[in-house]
Amino acid sequence: MNVVRLVKKAKKGSKEALLQLIMAEKDVYYKLALTYMGNTHDAMDAMEEMIVRLYEKIDQLKKEEAFYRWSKTILVNSCKTLLRKQKKLVLLDDWNTTNERELGHALTRDPYISSDQQMDIQELLLHVNEQQKEALQLKYLHDLDYQTIADITNVSIGTVKSRIFQGLKKLRDHYRGDVDE
Amino acid sequence: MNNVEKRLAEAKKHIDSITAPEELEMRLRSALNTTTPKNTKRIAPIWKVAAVALFFMVIVGYHYNAFAFYGKKLLGFDEVINGTLKELNDEGMGQIVEKKTELIDGTDLIINGMMTDANQSIVYYTLTNPNGIDDRKSDFFRPAKVTGFLTNSAVVSGTSLMNEDHTEIKGTMSFEPVSPFSKKLTFHFWQHLQNNQMTERSISFPYNPNKAMQTEIKQSIKKTLKVDKGTITFNSITATPTLTVIEGSLNVENFDRVDFALDGIELIANGSPIEVLGGGSQSSFNGIKFDIRYDSLPKELYSLELVMKEFVGYQMVKEKISLASMDDEPITLDGKELLVKDVSTTSEGVEITIATDDDVMLDGVSIETKKELTSLKTTVNQIKAKQKNGRVMKERTLLFDTTVEPEYLLIEGIHYMKPYKNVIEILVD
Repeated sequence: MNVVRLVKKAKKGSKEALLQLIMAEKDVYYKLALTYMGNTHDAMDAMEEMIVRLYEKIDQLKKEEAFYRWSKTILVNSCKTLLRKQKKLVLLDDWNTTNERELGHALTRDPYISSDQQMDIQELLLHVNEQQKEALQLKYLHDLDYQTIADITNVSIGTVKSRIFQGLKKLRDHYRGDVDE
Repeated sequence: MNNVEKRLAEAKKHIDSITAPEELEMRLRSALNTTTPKNTKRIAPIWKVAAVALFFMVIVGYHYNAFAFYGKKLLGFDEVINGTLKELNDEGMGQIVEKKTELIDGTDLIINGMMTDANQSIVYYTLTNPNGIDDRKSDFFRPAKVTGFLTNSAVVSGTSLMNEDHTEIKGTMSFEPVSPFSKKLTFHFWQHLQNNQMTERSISFPYNPNKAMQTEIKQSIKKTLKVDKGTITFNSITATPTLTVIEGSLNVENFDRVDFALDGIELIANGSPIEVLGGGSQSSFNGIKFDIRYDSLPKELYSLELVMKEFVGYQMVKEKISLASMDDEPITLDGKELLVKDVSTTSEGVEITIATDDDVMLDGVSIETKKELTSLKTTVNQIKAKQKNGRVMKERTLLFDTTVEPEYLLIEGIHYMKPYKNVIEILVD
């Protein structure tokens, strides 16, 4: 798949080309949206909004190669906008009940174990602040590079690295503390 | 691998297992279809650049004259120059030089431009020093001459003006005309060193003779007029955009007996006199050469005439004034008043204080006593003073080398500005 050619086509107004670009990495987008939104329904809403925004703004993309980095930034922004609109606070208590039901069909593994692990990591991440949590999630759960994380969170690479380092350090301290108990 | 990373890795494995739902593609497709198909005609950047360039070309092209006007003008000299020079500068008749050199005291000398024609060349210069210019030393910068190929022009006159902060002097300096064969000119100036020493420095700059202004009128006059004590000959008139110069020679015995004998010569163009800007004379082998400088002639010239309203004349009076009965009443010598103010005899000799009009000079003065005739030794203490009758007159004391009290003051004649009514018509095309 030639990304650059497809982006150029999309720039000329081809909806099909844009769709092809997104579908090629649909799982990555979906997981990213899911992390922010917390449920399948809202994640798909965010992706809908993203694709509309992409279509409207693809002219502004200067470097075709950077399409995926750019589109992920837009996806996260869409997620954050939606969250702000809903003023939705994803509580850990809700997570169990909603996720098990909604995520259930998407998970290939045993849902109980999966949600257990999911909850576990969310619990763990409660010990770091929001920004560190976001950076850690993007880095370790979504395997994004520093530049993309920096774009998404709208800060410099140095800040991203420092957030991840500080977050990890905090988690390690906490974990050790847990073990000691 | 420590526990935190292990747990993160486990969570990652879990997340990796998530796949997007099947209906995602349908939802995205329908979302896309709700958007309006956008205008695919994008304007290429090159066209935008072209449009902007075209816009500026039209604006600049339309105001070409204004840009050309400010392009050629020597800026910043509006306060220094006035009248004709200002008009010419506004018309952009100068040529811009903008050459810079540093004087000994750190002041920057900038030659801003030149304006040249067949009568004179004017250098526009600026002196700047952020630390202030000490203008009390009037000699710290003195233009000397402009040289070049077939050119050696001495300074004629100049004006300059200092700004309020005492950091900048802007001035113009008028030199004799430069040769049209010069392509490069050198401006020489003197600078003051310590111990009353002067040093000459120079700055060179290119010169374009084609930009010199055209001479408007250059023709010979060759008219000789007779005056009381000789003749005066007008040779030529050269009118350029900056100046009109009348040149001639004279052979008049008492030319230097009055202060400005040439002042009485007027140049009348279209019926009104042209302002006199200056003049000069120098003695040479066969008489005295002179030139009178007038302002430039009007653009539309119908008539031009040179009028000698007055010139130095001589009148024999042979007056014998009695000093015995002195009063305040003036004595009239051929229409000119003479006041005898004081007569005294000191150990030095006889002193007689008199007052006359500005242009009057007595000739053949002596005093007569009962026995002898003593001629004038010298004249001292010449001042201008307001007299009782309210007029400002030239007052001086005549000294005679005798101690005998005089009875009469004898005056043979007077030199004075005598009215003539000589008119020379100059034909204009």
